Amino acid sequence: MTEARVTSRDMHTDFDIEDVSLAENFEEVLDDLVAHCPVAHSTVGKGYHVINKHADVRKAGQDWRTFSSADGWLLNPPDQSIPILPEDLDPPYHDTWRRVLNPFFAPGNVAKVEELAHDCARRLLDGFADKGECEFVADFAAHLPGLVLFNSIVPVPEADLPQLFQDIDTYSFGPLDDRVPAFVRVYGYLDAFLKRRSEEDPRGDVIDAIVAGVDKDGEPSPWEDKVHTLLDVVFGGLATTTHAMSGAIYHFATHPEIRRDLIANPDLVANAVEETVRLYPPVVAPARTVRNDVEIGGVQLKAGDRVALNYAAASRDPAACADPAEFDIRRTDIVQSAFGVGVHRCLGAHLARLELRVTIEEFLARIPDFELKPGSAPTYESAQLRTMKNLHLVWTPST
Amino acid sequence: MKVTVDGSLCTGHGRCYSLAPDVFEPDDEGYSMQRDVPIPVPPGQEELTSRAVHACPEGAITATES
Ligand code: HEM
Ligand code: SF4
Repeated sequence: MTEARVTSRDMHTDFDIEDVSLAENFEEVLDDLVAHCPVAHSTVGKGYHVINKHADVRKAGQDWRTFSSADGWLLNPPDQSIPILPEDLDPPYHDTWRRVLNPFFAPGNVAKVEELAHDCARRLLDGFADKGECEFVADFAAHLPGLVLFNSIVPVPEADLPQLFQDIDTYSFGPLDDRVPAFVRVYGYLDAFLKRRSEEDPRGDVIDAIVAGVDKDGEPSPWEDKVHTLLDVVFGGLATTTHAMSGAIYHFATHPEIRRDLIANPDLVANAVEETVRLYPPVVAPARTVRNDVEIGGVQLKAGDRVALNYAAASRDPAACADPAEFDIRRTDIVQSAFGVGVHRCLGAHLARLELRVTIEEFLARIPDFELKPGSAPTYESAQLRTMKNLHLVWTPST
Repeated sequence: MKVTVDGSLCTGHGRCYSLAPDVFEPDDEGYSMQRDVPIPVPPGQEELTSRAVHACPEGAITATES
């Protein structure tokens, strides 16, 4: 049962990615766009188009020459927005960064994080499993991605973690007025951290690789590009993974038959991870700038136009995946765009998958039976990114 | 059955080597190790391989008979 739309906005010709009707009726609006509106138009800010069909999103995502990332992933960025790299770059400079970053996030290196992730998940569960209730976002999902990342692939000194976590949390989930100052503190911390590491002996980790930098048109990459790369590596993987974890646990809270199936058939967890990111995507629709006139989805776009690649809608396109609204851990035709398409394919996809698998395994092992707290429903913050803000769960603690 | 990964499209999502590890394997950056060369599919691996072909978010894998 879905509620009626809360605004009368026509999302085909007057789309607004920040509109509450999208935040609150997310699936309904996406399905309507996929079915009836291959390319939506928006007049918000400087105006933009949104590409919704799976085949068109794939085509545009793979064509970075026509759909450039150089103006940033935000559709209507604030005046002095700070770029994140390699997200806001085009090849060849983009690819030179990816080549040095990729090995740290490749499956072989990510597999080494497995035990740490299980330990962190169990410790978080220890904090509430006996209580019979939790707010899953604040008690678990907001912590696990940072605990894992900063104790492994992006090592940050233990002593610095509490302040860093607090600032990141305020920036990601705090009152709007507190967010910019929190971001400034995180930026300052990462800048100083990189500087400190550049004066120490190399350890062969990703921080060394960022400090060493890459070649930019025959010159060494400037210092700020290194800080902006660390920013992406840090921020790209936190609130995103938090949302997907929360999506999975929300889904199992409301679909007992799926969690029972998973407990009985643990080898289906990998499929559950893919279905989770397909149906609970944290990265909804990053922006591009059109460089050459091009027709897509029957709509003529002109050089200079801003567009968004609606990865969230593309993952729900029946042309790619039968019965797309069904969270089906036994489907054999999973294809999703949740980690992007083309050169910007999520750097952290393998790590995110591992964290999601571990979350599902550990949560269901400790708390096999649970439900939404009666009368509660999750709330969302939703625009080009989407985050579940809270998820209240109850269960009968085992004695 | 043989499969070929288009090296200009593969971006290292890793759906192929996760679903059909006896057919595909990752390189050090997470891309499919063998690109632009036909990979023979061992008998019994056809179904998993077909799933991988469909699952590749880039549509980078094509299957051919024989
Ligand atoms: C479920 C969790 C996650 C999802 C769904 C997700 C999704 C995405 C998507 C869709 C993109 C491409 C954006 C575009 O096309 O413009 C992306 C890029 C990126 N992600 Fe993730 N992400 C997740 C977790 C992570 C993690 C754990 C990390 C790192 C620790 C990370 C780091 C990055 C970086 C650095 C980029 C930019 C890559 C580039 O531009 O080449 N992400 N992510
Ligand atoms: S699934 Fe596709 S993009 Fe990913 S590694 Fe395999 S061939 Fe490459």
